[in-house]
Amino acid sequence: MSGSESAKGLSFEAPGPGTWALDPVHFPRPVTRYWAETHPDPFSRGTKHFARFYGMLMDGLQTEYVNGFAFNTVRPAPEDEIPLRFQRAEEVFEKKLWREQLREWDETCKPSSIAAHRAIQAIDPDALSDEDLSTYLARCRDHHAAMIFQHMRFTAGAVVPVGDFLAHVGDWTELPPSELLGLMRGAAPVSAGASAQLERLIYAIEKDPSALALLQSEDQDPGRVLSELRSMESEAGSAVSGYLDLVGYRLLDGFDISEPTALEMPDVLLRAIRIAVESKTLEASDVEDRIADVRSQVPETHRGEFDELLGEARLTYRLRDERGVYSDIWASGLMRRAALAAGRRLQARGLIHDAAHIVDAGLDEMRSLLTDSGGPSADELAERAQYRAEHSAKDAPAELGSPPTPPPDPSGLPPAIGRLMRAVGISLGALFGSSEEQHEDDLLRGLAASRGVYEGPARRISGPSEFGRIVKGDVLVTEATTEAFNILLPLLGAIVTDNGGLLSHSAIVAREYGIPGVVGTREATLRIADGTRVRVNGDAGEVTVLG
Amino acid sequence: MAGAPVEALKRVPLFIDLDPGEIEQIARLFKERHFSQGETVTREGSGGAAFFLIESGQATVSVAGAERAMLKQGDHFGEIALIDEGPRSATIVASTELVCYGLTFWDFRPLVQENGAIGWKLLQVMVQKLRAAEQGYLPDLTA
Amino acid sequence: MARDTAIFGSKAVGLGEAIRQGLPVPPGVALSGSIVEAVAGGEEEAIEEVTSAARPLHAPLAVRSSAVDEDGADASFAGQHLTLLNVPSIDELTSALNEIWWSANSDSAITYRQRVGLFTRPSVGVVIQELLNPDSAGVMFTRNPITGADERMIEASWGLGESVVAGLVIPDNYRVDREGRVLERTPGHKKIAIRSVPSGGTVHEQVPTELVERLCLDEDQLEELSRLALQSEQVYGPARDIEWAFVGGTLNLLQCRAITRAGI
Repeated sequence: MSGSESAKGLSFEAPGPGTWALDPVHFPRPVTRYWAETHPDPFSRGTKHFARFYGMLMDGLQTEYVNGFAFNTVRPAPEDEIPLRFQRAEEVFEKKLWREQLREWDETCKPSSIAAHRAIQAIDPDALSDEDLSTYLARCRDHHAAMIFQHMRFTAGAVVPVGDFLAHVGDWTELPPSELLGLMRGAAPVSAGASAQLERLIYAIEKDPSALALLQSEDQDPGRVLSELRSMESEAGSAVSGYLDLVGYRLLDGFDISEPTALEMPDVLLRAIRIAVESKTLEASDVEDRIADVRSQVPETHRGEFDELLGEARLTYRLRDERGVYSDIWASGLMRRAALAAGRRLQARGLIHDAAHIVDAGLDEMRSLLTDSGGPSADELAERAQYRAEHSAKDAPAELGSPPTPPPDPSGLPPAIGRLMRAVGISLGALFGSSEEQHEDDLLRGLAASRGVYEGPARRISGPSEFGRIVKGDVLVTEATTEAFNILLPLLGAIVTDNGGLLSHSAIVAREYGIPGVVGTREATLRIADGTRVRVNGDAGEVTVLG
Repeated sequence: MAGAPVEALKRVPLFIDLDPGEIEQIARLFKERHFSQGETVTREGSGGAAFFLIESGQATVSVAGAERAMLKQGDHFGEIALIDEGPRSATIVASTELVCYGLTFWDFRPLVQENGAIGWKLLQVMVQKLRAAEQGYLPDLTA
Repeated sequence: MARDTAIFGSKAVGLGEAIRQGLPVPPGVALSGSIVEAVAGGEEEAIEEVTSAARPLHAPLAVRSSAVDEDGADASFAGQHLTLLNVPSIDELTSALNEIWWSANSDSAITYRQRVGLFTRPSVGVVIQELLNPDSAGVMFTRNPITGADERMIEASWGLGESVVAGLVIPDNYRVDREGRVLERTPGHKKIAIRSVPSGGTVHEQVPTELVERLCLDEDQLEELSRLALQSEQVYGPARDIEWAFVGGTLNLLQCRAITRAGI
C-alpha cells in the first residue's frame, strides 16, 4: 500500500555503498538468522559466475540482510573485464551457450545433486548422538550453501533464452509477457509436479484397488493415509515411497528453513497425489493452438526466428524450476529436518521453548546449544521467532543507499550486450522475478487472516444465488462474506476475499472454522478464474494461481 | 399468535395419532420462519437443526444437483433432523417467498422422551423412507 | 420472572452492566436469550414487553445479536452474529428478532457450532439501539487475534462500522499496546461508507478519492479507544470483541462480546 506509515521502530541503513533494492518477492517476511548467515556468499558467487559465463556487464549481485529483510545490489563488472564481456555476450547468441549449461545440468549437476541429497536424507538425525548431530548440521549447511551456489549459477540459463523470446515476440506482436509465457506450457513437467516417479506412482496406484481405496478415503488423517500407503507391500507402496523420497523434503514454498517441507503438510501432498491419479493426463494441452495463434500474429518475415526463439525457450524452460527444486529447495528442507531434530532435543532439555524456534539460531548457535557450550537463550530465540511472525516486507523501505542510476542505454552498446540486457531485463522484471517463483501475475497478496495452507479449485461466488456451485474442497473466492455464507463452511477448504480486514466476518469465520483465509486482496475476484487451482497461504497472506 | 396452527399440524403423518391436547402442546413449540426467494433452506450434507411445515409459498428439492420435487403449502420436510441433526439428504431452495413453521430438535426431543406415541410414529416414518430409498423410489427425500 | 431482569442490568446481557459502569453506551435495550426466543415464537406478552421497552428509542433501529450460553456467559462465535441495521421502526422489531433467533438456530449455525466444539443449545441475546450516523466506526479486539499478543487491534472505516464487520472495505488497521502506544498504522482502501438515512435505512456511499486511503482515526481517538479497551476489560474481563463508533467527536460503545477461543 502506498503511503503506509510503519511506526515499528526499526532503523534501516544501507549495508554498503551503492543502491540496494528490497526483495519482497522472494522474501516477504524477515529471514532466519541461519539464512541471513548462509545465503549471501553462495548467492554472490553464483551470480558472479553466470554474469561472467554470459558476458554480462555486472559482476553478479549481492544480497545483505537488514533487520532480516533482503536487499540486493548489482555490482558492476570490473572495467578491465568489459572487452571480454562484450566478446562473450556475442558468443552467447551465436553459440547458444545456454545449451552448454543445460548439458552440464542434465549430465553432471542434477544427477550428482540428487545423489548428494539422498545420501544426506538417508541419515536419520534423530538417531545421531549430540556430537554427530552437530557435525551433521554442519554437513547439511555446507551442502545447502553449495546448492544455493548451484541454483544461482544456472539462473541465467533459465532466464536468457526465455527473456530473449519474450523480448522479440513482445516487439513483434505487442502481446504481454504473461500471455507469451503461456506458450511454455508442457515444456516443464517438473513445474506441474510431474516426474518419472510420479508417473510410476500414478500407474501403480491405478492398478491396485486397495491402494486406490486408501487414497480416496476421506475421513482419515492425511498423515496416516500417506504412511499407510507407503508401507503397503506392493508396487503401489514402493512407488509412493519413491515419490515421497523424491519430493518429501522439498520446501513447499520459499527458501528459508522456516518454511515447511512437503511431508509436514500431508494434506497438501495427499491432495496432490489424488489429483495426479484422478486426472491422469495433464490437462489436454491447447498449447499447440496457442502457439499457432501467436505465430500468426508475428510478421511473416520473423516467423522463422519465432520458431527458433520459441524452441530455445521451451528447451531451457524446465531449468527455471529444476535448478531450485533439485538444488536448494531440497537442501533447505534437509537442513530444516536436521535443525528440527536438534530443536526437539533441546526442547526436551528445556533449553528452547518450542522445537520450531531452532530455525532462528545460526549454525554455530545451533551447535553450541546442542553440545551445551553456550548459545542464545530460549527467550531470545522465541523473540526472534516472534519478530519474524510480526513483521513483513511492508515494514521495510523499498530502497536503501544511493538513488538508483538508470541502466545504460542499450542502443549505445554492442548489439549482443543490448540484446542480452533486454532478455535479462524482461525476464526478471525486478531481478529474478521470473525464476521458479511465481510470475507476478500468479501471485496475489492480502491479509493473513487465518493460518494454514490449502490447495484446491477456486469457486468465484457472487452471492447466495450461486451457492449451489460449491463442491466440497473448493476455495471460496468472493468480494465479501456475510452470515449467509456460513452454510458453505463445511464444504470449503479456504476463503479468499477482495475486501475485508482481519476483524471482518470472513476473517473471523475462517479462524473459528479452522480453515486458511486471505482477505483484503482487492482483486481476487478479478484475477482468479473460476475453477482454477489455487494455493491459499493463510500464514503469509498469499494466494498463488497454479493454473 | 404463537406457534403453528393446530389445523396444519393435524395433517402431518407424524402427528396423526396424537390427541388434541398433545397437538396443541407441540404446536406451541413451532416458530414462524420466513425465507426469501432463492434462499437455501436446507443444504445437502449439512447438519440439520429443524423440521419445517410450509404455510405458504413453494420450494424446490434437489439431490446431487438434480431437481426431484416441488414442495408447497401443507408439505413438510426435515423430520429426520428431529432425531439426529443431519446430514440433510437434500438441498431445498425457496422458489418464492416462503413462510414456514419450524421446530428445532432442541424443542422436539424432550417431547419425544415424554410422549412415546410421537417417538413410535417417527420410527415408522423413518422405516418407510429407508424402504423407499432401498427400492429406489425416493418419493419424499426431505430429511 | 426471569425475563424482567433481562431488560437492562442483567449480567447475561452485557451492555446493561456497561451502562452501570459508566461506559459510553448509546441509548438502547438489551434483551436476554429467553425473551428473544419468546418474541420469536410470537408470544404476545413478550412482544408487548419488548415493544414498550424499545418505545423511547428513535427509529431507525440497529439490532445486534450475540449468542450467550445457558449460564449467561458469552459463548458465542462471532462468525455467527447477525446484525440488522435496517429496522425502520418498532413494528418491524418482532420480525427482526425472529430472524435473529432463527439465524442462531439454523442448519448452518448448528453445523458451525458443532465444528467449533459447541454442543449446547444456542441462546441469542440482542441489543437494540438507535442507529447512529458515525463519522468513523469499526471493531476493536483487545487481544491480537492473529498472534495472540497482548495488544489491541483496531479496524476502522468511514461511516457505520458494518462495513468493517461485514468486510465490505479494506479497513485501516491499527495496533496499540496496552500502554496506549501506537505500534502500527496501516491505511486501508475504504471505497464505501455505509450511512444511515434520516427517513430510515442505510445507503452505501462512495467515499471521496482523497479519503479512501487516508487514516480515519487520529491520535486522540486512538487514545480514547485505548482507554475504552482498558475499561471494558475491567468490567468484563480479557479478550473483548468491541464494536465502537465516533459520532460527532464522541466515542460510543455499541457491543462488547467475548473473543471466542478459536478467534485468537
